[in-house]
Amino acid sequence: MIRSIPVKTFPRHSFFFGIFAILLLSLESKGADSKLDFTQDIRPILSDKCFFCHGPDEHERGADLRLDNAKDAFADLGGYAAIVAGKPLESELILRILDEDDPMPPEKSHKTLKSEEVELLTRWIVEGAEYSEPWAYVQPKKNSIPKVGDQKWPVNWIDRFVLSRLESESLQPSLDADPVTLIRRLHFDLTGLPPTPEEADAFVDGKTDFDTVVDDLLASPHFGERMAMYWLDLVRYADTVGYHGDQDHNISPYRDYVIRSFNENMPFDQFTIEQIAGDLLPNSGKWQKVASGYNRLLQTSHEGGIQKKEYNAIYAADRVRNVSAVWMGATVGCAQCHDHKYDPYTIKDHYAMAAFFADIHDDGYSGNTLPANRQPEMLFLTDEQEAELAKIEAEIEPLFDKATQKSLEKLDVEKAKLVASSKVGKGNKKAIQNKISEVDRRIASIAPAEERQAWAQLHSKRKAIQKEGRLTMITAAKPPREMRVLPRGNWQDNTGDIVNADVPGFLGSIPVDSRTPTRLDLAEWLTNGETGVGEMTARVFANRFWYLFFGTGISRSLDDFGGQGVPPENPELLDNLAVHFYESGWDVKAMVRFLVTSRAYRQSSITPPELKERDPHNQLVARQSRYRLPAEAIRDNALAVSGLLVDQQGGTSAKPYQPIGYFRHLNFPVRTYKAHKNQDQWRRGVYVHWQRMFLHPMMKAMDAPSREECTAQRPRSNTPNAALVLLNDPTFLEAARVFAIRVLAEGGDSIDSRLNFAFREALSRLPDPEERTVMTSLLKATRADYENNPNSAASLLENGMAPTPMEVDPIDLASWTAITRALLNLNETVTRN
Amino acid sequence: MTTHPIFPSRRNFLGQAGLSLGSAAFSSLANASAADALPHFAAKAKRVIFLCMAGGPSHLETYDYKPKLDQLNGKPMPTSFTDGQPIAQLQGKELKVQGHLTKFKQHGKSGQFISDYLPHTAKIADDIAVVRSMVTEQINHDPAHTFMNTGTAVSGRPSMGSWVTYGLGSETEDLPGFVVLTSVGGRNPQPIASRQWAAGFLPSRFQGVEFNSSGDPVHYVRNPKGVSSKQQAALIDAIQKLDRKRNAQVANPEIDTRLAAYEMAFKMQTSVPDLMDISNEPKHVLESYGAEPGDGSYASNCLLARRLAERGVRFIQLYHRGWDHHGDLAKYMDICCGLTDQPTAALISDLKERGMLEDTLVVWGGEFGRTPMFQGKGGPGRDHHIKGFSMWMAGGGIKGGTSYGETDELGYHAVNDVVHVRDLHATMLHQLGIHSNRFSFPFQGLDMRLTGVEKARVIRGILA
Repeated sequence: MIRSIPVKTFPRHSFFFGIFAILLLSLESKGADSKLDFTQDIRPILSDKCFFCHGPDEHERGADLRLDNAKDAFADLGGYAAIVAGKPLESELILRILDEDDPMPPEKSHKTLKSEEVELLTRWIVEGAEYSEPWAYVQPKKNSIPKVGDQKWPVNWIDRFVLSRLESESLQPSLDADPVTLIRRLHFDLTGLPPTPEEADAFVDGKTDFDTVVDDLLASPHFGERMAMYWLDLVRYADTVGYHGDQDHNISPYRDYVIRSFNENMPFDQFTIEQIAGDLLPNSGKWQKVASGYNRLLQTSHEGGIQKKEYNAIYAADRVRNVSAVWMGATVGCAQCHDHKYDPYTIKDHYAMAAFFADIHDDGYSGNTLPANRQPEMLFLTDEQEAELAKIEAEIEPLFDKATQKSLEKLDVEKAKLVASSKVGKGNKKAIQNKISEVDRRIASIAPAEERQAWAQLHSKRKAIQKEGRLTMITAAKPPREMRVLPRGNWQDNTGDIVNADVPGFLGSIPVDSRTPTRLDLAEWLTNGETGVGEMTARVFANRFWYLFFGTGISRSLDDFGGQGVPPENPELLDNLAVHFYESGWDVKAMVRFLVTSRAYRQSSITPPELKERDPHNQLVARQSRYRLPAEAIRDNALAVSGLLVDQQGGTSAKPYQPIGYFRHLNFPVRTYKAHKNQDQWRRGVYVHWQRMFLHPMMKAMDAPSREECTAQRPRSNTPNAALVLLNDPTFLEAARVFAIRVLAEGGDSIDSRLNFAFREALSRLPDPEERTVMTSLLKATRADYENNPNSAASLLENGMAPTPMEVDPIDLASWTAITRALLNLNETVTRN
Repeated sequence: MTTHPIFPSRRNFLGQAGLSLGSAAFSSLANASAADALPHFAAKAKRVIFLCMAGGPSHLETYDYKPKLDQLNGKPMPTSFTDGQPIAQLQGKELKVQGHLTKFKQHGKSGQFISDYLPHTAKIADDIAVVRSMVTEQINHDPAHTFMNTGTAVSGRPSMGSWVTYGLGSETEDLPGFVVLTSVGGRNPQPIASRQWAAGFLPSRFQGVEFNSSGDPVHYVRNPKGVSSKQQAALIDAIQKLDRKRNAQVANPEIDTRLAAYEMAFKMQTSVPDLMDISNEPKHVLESYGAEPGDGSYASNCLLARRLAERGVRFIQLYHRGWDHHGDLAKYMDICCGLTDQPTAALISDLKERGMLEDTLVVWGGEFGRTPMFQGKGGPGRDHHIKGFSMWMAGGGIKGGTSYGETDELGYHAVNDVVHVRDLHATMLHQLGIHSNRFSFPFQGLDMRLTGVEKARVIRGILA
């Protein structure tokens, strides 16, 4: 066997024999049942270490060799082949890896193979070098539900997949979490808010059962807000344009659409279609137009001296990055300059996808107005406002016809102008008076006084409602711009081919006969399993739903289902969830219910060190996950516990307290931030004004993204800046103070009863003796300080604008505010366990 | 360092708290670098001070002297220079040559050309290496800054300060490793996004922290009204006790990290105001910079940069936001140079006197330069220009007095020894002991680098 190796590549290195020995040993030690899996074991190595030069991108390709598919890898290269199945020592791949003089990967690539990786590759070739298609490009298929030993543990089939895997690893699931943890987990996961003490107690005492709680929470309007927190990250929703002057733009009704859609349990395919192509639907209604604002969410520039053509290219690429990241979990954006290095997306695919959006003309953005000038927009009225308006119209209708109303409005304007000029004493007084009388006479001639009065009242009501309306950016299709491939992404290069709108070639095509495919076709292709990739889209979202309720994806790569993404640890479970979601008619609430009513969901998140070491990313699901709450929920929790939370749904964005001067770097125009001085101050985090260039420092410290790009997974940091926010941000100070007012008013008279009240509100449980001791001594020390310095007690109470009732003793309140501050700062308070 | 009466030192704090906190948790916040095996080779520089002249200072009124420009003053700009080139506000306008709006002289032993706008910098001519052949790819401010800071115009990528702090960690436990300071003066100030110091896909703890000259020096770093330091300490102590007690039940490593975070937060409450208070600097030092305590000026920021460098901050970035001189260039150059020239030179001299210049890399420059063509918003000015402009570096193993690279006879195109932004990054990393091509982070399946995918070149010609 060794003699058959061509002399030119004969390795002169003892390492070779070492590997050979390892190989023999490894083959001996492992039975046939542990055959390597290409997707799990081999593809990640080849992708990371080899595909850069021997992958899909033909421009980078070395030695005209591809290793990303079997055909090319096995091809005869003139007497030898990269891979010879069963014969590692005749496979050029292995020989070159072992070649000391000219090894692969080459030194200049700065990539090296670990000896375990070489061993795996060698074993795989010995085992027959079987390739399989990249997992994310194969249609999800329904797998049979595995048999498990423990028949008592599983509740639904999710649990059978999980348990079967655990049993094969000789692991056991964790015990169910205690009821307090569980009820808090459910409330935070499904609404982003804590349970009230009554809700917690009812569950702990068995007065409400798990499934009923789940149903109630899914029916809560806060469910939509919670889901929107995630969705708005994906689609990069923000209140400002994001480049240069970072001016506000009009888009808040889109956020309300998202919340409403989740609350109404809109099927996910419809949700997709309305956003990408709501304007193209026949008879598209108000909400569909608002939804089409999705296409307008990207960062835009209003800087003087931008080159239109350059920004057309920038916006096109931005839209491709987002639509592919959100719905396909794909990095098609990487093919903007060249074919993708690791996935079969070509540069042409990139521009063909961009062509779907070429009917959106980002025109007329110039000028540094506030809000930014971003036509097309529409005036948005809520359903309630519309109903009221309809009522008014119905009352107006019998009074005057449309033409008369128009004339009246015109005459009113005319009269108002005359009256105004008579007041400032412009022109001849008498002449003006005559003109006014003439207008009055004309008014009287077309409308009798009584009706006119009634009309005037209704009309001013109507105008008031219309004034309450909000503008919002929408999509309005225009003839598509010509779309060319831009070689190396260079917008000044006109030599590239003209491309039509199309989906990536290796994923099929859109059957449209001779017409040009539209955004509507794209949206349908994304969601239809028969004619498009619907089930694959379902898999992207099944994985993300899992992440929302288990803290990590089944595939950890929430935004990269490509060759470099991490393959799912339990692919059968992921596929079945995808098919389930798709076959349910894209029923989001049903999907969420199915996940959270599994036994796997109920597990404790306490992680023994051995398990942490064995499964650091919780891919085997032998436990639940624990992590700090998202930024919005940290805010919402403090407001809810204090009683300050205003749960108005939808509307314009809310502006919480913010450090003075934080916007000093903004210009065109210069900005002064005005925190809301009304109820808007205490609205939920999902409604907080999202300034892309300077996101509110509290949000930022808690890892909320700037929303310039798609964020499928936020980082979870734990920094001194975050500690400073919880300690010193006026929002949290005020929440603590108002919480303390409640403790004094509702918590009884003793320290113990007050601590009981406070702990139940903040943590859904009572304090234990040690906690009582710590808090009591903090209370006493603080009180002693304030008794010596009553003025500082008074100034503590000045934090925030919520009033303090007159009858509350300032020293009492200031002292208890230390306790409530401590509670709002506890790790337990801000952690989803 | 000032010590606090309650927690005189970290050791004491922990001792008092009855806790032996593993160093891992603490250093994960303050200290440790997250990348393996760095530096790749012996570093010349330990830290970077990046003086960003936001708006794009004119190379033709600072470092790039072109006699031909004066000869053609007022004449049409030859189309051989401008055809097919990107252009900003002069789109569709008649293009005329604008001669220098100031005089140039040679300075120092090296004889570097420096304009009369910069009399103080002229005195440090032999300490700085001027690169007169810079090019960038972005012609509008915001993307050009993003390009200068992150190596790409796509949002969401880490800034160079985050890269460096990620790679090398910080040498301070009381302060963030990457600090940003800003000042204004000159034309309408450039908006600067916090994206410019964001950590992108790197862990959040490597993001730049902005220090403010008015209000809280760092957001929320001051005790709330009506809360004394003693009370704040007692509060934090109670929080720590309860968190530790909880940790005994649930064994969550995140709680360990959190204990350290609260400790550092508390230390920052004293160390940051202490750092920001320059009133205890000797009078001659304040005068050399032209700084008045608490004025928020570029001069004060230069002095703060030195104080940050002394305390072990790894990457210090200053922005002066007044350099966008589309019109009235002469007037605004007077203002901008008046505010920045003396402090910049003072910073170099001060670092030198303290023996810190040799391991501190100082970089000066804007996000791009300005056109050789006239633009007239008010008096004569110049538009954005990306095909040739000047920057300089000093200290940290840079050979002072070097003139590197050239633009063409009108200062339009960089023609000799062209230096791309990625080459600047590669050189900066090289001085810090980092091989740019081997310094990467996996994101979306790619090995992302500050210097991107194209080959980046270290500017050997300016190295000592």
